[in-house]
Amino acid sequence: MSDTSLIDELPGELLMWVLIISELLVFGAGMIAFMGVRLTDPAGFAEAQSHLHRTGAAFNTAVLVTSGYLAAQALHWRQAARRGAARLALIGAALLGVVFLIIKGTEYADKAAQGIGFETHPFFLFYYLLTGFHAAHVLAGVGILLLVAWRDDARNIEAGAQFWHMVDLVWIMLFPVIYLLG
Amino acid sequence: MGVSSSIPKRSRRRLPSPITCAWLTLLALSVASAMLTLMPIPSKLLGGGILILALAKSRIILAQYLDLATSPPWLRGFTMVLTGFAVVIFGLFLI
Repeated sequence: MSDTSLIDELPGELLMWVLIISELLVFGAGMIAFMGVRLTDPAGFAEAQSHLHRTGAAFNTAVLVTSGYLAAQALHWRQAARRGAARLALIGAALLGVVFLIIKGTEYADKAAQGIGFETHPFFLFYYLLTGFHAAHVLAGVGILLLVAWRDDARNIEAGAQFWHMVDLVWIMLFPVIYLLG
Repeated sequence: MGVSSSIPKRSRRRLPSPITCAWLTLLALSVASAMLTLMPIPSKLLGGGILILALAKSRIILAQYLDLATSPPWLRGFTMVLTGFAVVIFGLFLI
């Protein structure tokens, strides 16, 4: 019989994985609900979706995966005792998170200027709830990345980077569902 | 004469790390998704293609960024659940 359980095989802290799985389930349920409600008015959802900035959102995907790359490299560098490089990578990852939020903020401001709000159409209710909840996670992630850049123990960086990769993973699924499947 | 000096210079070049390869692949798949939306193909096919690319990106993030490549059973489990999720989304898209 093996001495290690399957749980021990998970990299990093178990509680971080509990958080990651919980978040994926919450966002997953939201996206399934979105697609379910879409069935009541497919044409209306497609029309509403045409008001979104696909290019900006696609650019944000590149921003987040690049930010995730820097966070992953930061852990690698910290484990190799390259503290300065790790800190810079974490700060870079956080700055890209800010870029994501600025682009998202511009998108929201544009919607507001067009008079599009929560009540305009059920599509926009889900759009604001799901992308807004995700943006709140990005904001939290930026704070966490800066925190672990300051308190740069390898375990802290690993936990912070895992949170950030979860935010990245959610966006990878959220982007096609909200912006592309019309 | 050292062993390393007998190795041709080109083969001594360092290969990109798995994390760098993952990042480049993620960028390439993101560009592929964007290109796909510009192509004149039926929306159902487009939806399937976009979800397959999103699944591929998710798996790379799980395997390389979240380091689940070191734990194949967990990587398989996450991949199965995400694939099931994508199938449900695609099913709802097709209805």
